[in-house]
Amino acid sequence: MENNQEVLLRVEHLCQFFGSTKAVNDVSFDVKKGEVFGLVGESGCGKTTTGRSIIKLYDITSGNIYFKGIRIGAGLMSYRVAIREAKKSFKEKAKTADAASRSALKSERDRIIHEQKKQMKAAKYDRKHCDKEYAEQQVALVKGKYLPLISAARGEKQRTLRSEYRNELRKAKKARLVTKIQMIFQDPSASLDPRLTVREIISEGLIIQGEKNKELINQKVDEMLETVGLVREHAGRYQHEFSGGQRQRIGIARSVIMQPELIIADEPVSALDVSIQAQVINLLNDLREHLGLTVLFIAHDLSVVKYFSDRIGVMYFGEMVELASSDELFLNPLHPYTRSLLSAIPLPDPEYEKKRKRITYNPLAEHDYSVDKPTMREIKPEHFVKCNQAEYEKYLAQLK
Amino acid sequence: MDKKLQVKGLTISFKTREGKVQAVRNIDFDLNRGETLAIVGESGSGKSVTSKAILGILAGNSIVENGEILYDGKDLLKISEDEFHKIRGDKIAMIFQDPMSSLNPIARIGKQLTEAMILKGKARQKESRTSFNTYLAKLREEMKTIIPQEEAVRKCHDFDKFEYKHLELESAYNRAHEAATEAIDDIDALCFELGKKGAKDVRYRVGRIRSLSMASVQEYVVKEDADALKATAASLPRLARAAGNNIDNEPLVVALRAIGEILKKAVALEQPNFFALGYYSVFSGQAIPALPVAELNKSMRSYLDDHFMLDFIENVTLALRKSAEKTADNMRRAVDLIGEVRPLFTAETLDKGKTYAALKTLGAAVSASIDPLAITKDSLSYTFESAFRSELDRYFSGFSGNVREQKRFDRQTAKQNRQRARGKEPSWTVVEPSLVDFDLVKSNLLAQLDRTAAHYREALDAADSRDFREEAVAVIDYLKDCASGVVLKVTKQMAKNKAIKLMEEVGISEPRKRFRQYPFEFSGGMRQRIVIAIALAANPDILICDEPTTALDVTIQSQILELINKLKKERRLSVIFITHDLGVVANMADRIAVMYAGKIVEYGTSEDIFYHSAHPYTWALLSSMPDLDSTDRLDAIPGSTPDMLYPPKGDAFAERNKYALKIDFERQPPMFRISDTHYAATWLLHPNAPKVEPPKAVTDRINRMKQKREAQNDGE
Repeated sequence: MENNQEVLLRVEHLCQFFGSTKAVNDVSFDVKKGEVFGLVGESGCGKTTTGRSIIKLYDITSGNIYFKGIRIGAGLMSYRVAIREAKKSFKEKAKTADAASRSALKSERDRIIHEQKKQMKAAKYDRKHCDKEYAEQQVALVKGKYLPLISAARGEKQRTLRSEYRNELRKAKKARLVTKIQMIFQDPSASLDPRLTVREIISEGLIIQGEKNKELINQKVDEMLETVGLVREHAGRYQHEFSGGQRQRIGIARSVIMQPELIIADEPVSALDVSIQAQVINLLNDLREHLGLTVLFIAHDLSVVKYFSDRIGVMYFGEMVELASSDELFLNPLHPYTRSLLSAIPLPDPEYEKKRKRITYNPLAEHDYSVDKPTMREIKPEHFVKCNQAEYEKYLAQLK
Repeated sequence: MDKKLQVKGLTISFKTREGKVQAVRNIDFDLNRGETLAIVGESGSGKSVTSKAILGILAGNSIVENGEILYDGKDLLKISEDEFHKIRGDKIAMIFQDPMSSLNPIARIGKQLTEAMILKGKARQKESRTSFNTYLAKLREEMKTIIPQEEAVRKCHDFDKFEYKHLELESAYNRAHEAATEAIDDIDALCFELGKKGAKDVRYRVGRIRSLSMASVQEYVVKEDADALKATAASLPRLARAAGNNIDNEPLVVALRAIGEILKKAVALEQPNFFALGYYSVFSGQAIPALPVAELNKSMRSYLDDHFMLDFIENVTLALRKSAEKTADNMRRAVDLIGEVRPLFTAETLDKGKTYAALKTLGAAVSASIDPLAITKDSLSYTFESAFRSELDRYFSGFSGNVREQKRFDRQTAKQNRQRARGKEPSWTVVEPSLVDFDLVKSNLLAQLDRTAAHYREALDAADSRDFREEAVAVIDYLKDCASGVVLKVTKQMAKNKAIKLMEEVGISEPRKRFRQYPFEFSGGMRQRIVIAIALAANPDILICDEPTTALDVTIQSQILELINKLKKERRLSVIFITHDLGVVANMADRIAVMYAGKIVEYGTSEDIFYHSAHPYTWALLSSMPDLDSTDRLDAIPGSTPDMLYPPKGDAFAERNKYALKIDFERQPPMFRISDTHYAATWLLHPNAPKVEPPKAVTDRINRMKQKREAQNDGE
């Protein structure tokens, strides 16, 4: 993995709280262009919530999400906390201070509040208008492409160009940055509308985007069906006529037809038979190679994640505890939770299995964070672990 | 090995509008006590249907065409629904694939967990009472023939009376003892968490420890230190309040540890012999002497032996011997009778009148050969008549049925031929006529006769070496067990405590809060845990797990597998584990059956299957799953399972099999024997077949695993 690769998705200090439940708490990671980033952890640890926050199904509580360098998600809580802190510290200091320093403190407080409010405003603006900016960009692109052509052309040609231009312009105005991120869901039968034919399911996104050319849509759908290993004739059928693996293929076709740059695959193979799992994983691998897709792969089956991902982030109770390239993670797992997770993988070997001992993870017994709070630290290049200073030294010693 | 469950020649199909879908086609397997059998196959291979047949919950349109499922001497395919009520859930429990469909959406989790416990508790009480009473009555009748009538009646009555006193004493002790052990566990956990300053629910838990330690004060548990214990326990809530938010919890920890010490000492004490104590307190008319437990046990034991027990055992021994002798006579008669009627069944065509008459006399003789005082039932004799009759019925129904089937077949073939003659390829296939094979039925009948006769001869030969005194002691233990079943009353509170414990055991955090929630408030994994807890609540003999961990993540999966393994060991539970994922079963299964298209294609110990698999389908399954070291493209199995409306003529897997031979498309392969434990149905094992190596992915993995194992062994 080269370090200078372009970062497609950057998640900074993402927090997603539901009331008092901290589903995701301060998670940061980058996804580089063309790689598969795996997120693992047990059910309820916030992997799916992270995925859904990225695709803006939730308004995030705090943190920033950048896609292709544009901020698409921003939470406000951190700014509010900063303002509160500033007010509080001012109150405390003001008690003892004399008049002169008091006014200095006051102006300092006001400066902080002003700054934070400005940032808050910017975040609110970005959250709401990131798509607008993207659409403006697209419109400008289309205008730049067609307007000179139209003014240069004459007669019949100009007319066709005009209608083409109008069509493209309409689509460009509707363009949404977030549609470049697509999702594949866990349960194929639950995520496909039972009352639509496969063609309708797959073309729905295109139609929403403003495509009106029926022939083009049909042609694209047919192509896509072939890409995912189905045949054209399947387009007229309903989802219940397909087996589980085929349904998941339809789900994949539906997201790939939008020409996404990032696919969030939320447990795409968990609900499938082992033999079918292999078919779907092979398909995803092929698509990734041919279309240069970037994938955020959320799963709990570590063997599959290991096989499929370049880098893996391990989550535990809403927090990222370890992040490394997949080989490194399986070779040198450092965080006790990662170790317990790895020790739970069943292998197809009865004799080995009979001796396998599962390591249990009890955060209270493993860590002492009463004094020194843990942070994400880079132990080795590209290998991050959540630990405090004492643990950091311990892990370093382990690596030697 | 005693066989817990036997499935023989099971064939099940489903009636649909298009025709019969053959879901299970002639499968055989057995399940030993304390063993795990894994059934592996893709969806639609008939594994779930098999398990549902065992539990008697097949869908309404199913037809059991052939076969038997023997459990505890009963053929589960033939017993009535009433009898099934005693088995389903209680003896054979099932964990379903989809937790949401097996939970009631409008009842709280707590209700669903405790409901069965309370109901089964009541039923068990009732059943234990009947079996205790009926067995004692039988024993009394038998004893009457040996000793004077009044004496026999009095002795049995006495036994009955002091047995109940014994249980009263013992259950009081058990309650206190259990409370003490539980309190010790709770104290240890709480002290640990307090030490780490991360304890939750402190006040509730302290309250529980307090009530538990109060409950452990009893004559034979906490006696001398009772006052100290009570005083410390009473101070607990105050200390807990003072400890507040983990700020200063030193006094609380000290108090808890003090209680823990007292309880640990008490738990380690010797248990008194309540059986003898019960007799003493009922019949001596004196209070139980206050002696140290060891001495007390000795004196009580000798009192019981002198006054009652030795004599009683002697009588029971005699009664058992007498009953066994009577049964032996009947057995001899039955064997003779079998010899007499056997020629009837070797005739070219059977005579309907004569055979049914023979069955009637034979049935009577066989049921007379069941020893009324035997504790374990003689399964062969119990099922003899019904099994024999159904086979006979099949034979005679064949006379008209075969003609009808043949006619249908001819008619449909003719229709197809007509279509073909017109140059149209028919889109439907003709279902082969299902004819009764008269010779097969006859040989089945003869085999059953011979098996029964041989069984009796064996029993008669072994009769001399039987130790009736030992059996008499076993009988008394059996009666004790029954009696303890009667006094074991399951109250709502007990059920709740047990349910919360089970919920903790299956890994549900905050069980007290969860107890009052509805199923929709749980995530998929949590729901599955609830279902497992419900299945385990009844302490079943056989646990059928239908893809229990498919929806769960790795840690939970391995926790649950460990849980099932632990229970299997503790309770000698037999487990049928159904899954599509071979990787999961490596640490679970003792034996594995691989199913495809309704048939078992390979059958062997887990070592056989993982290291020396022989069937191409098993190879395909093994090579299609990734493991931690796989980097190559996965070998997916192409296509999907065949349509079982028209099962293929040859090997069902041939279509998707890259090793398929020509004969695979024409004839079904028989089961080839590889070793005593390992069988596979593939033509590749035929002596004339070309030599084929398993795919590279499989052999590579086996080698890799071997290296890993060696590295592991070196590391130790």
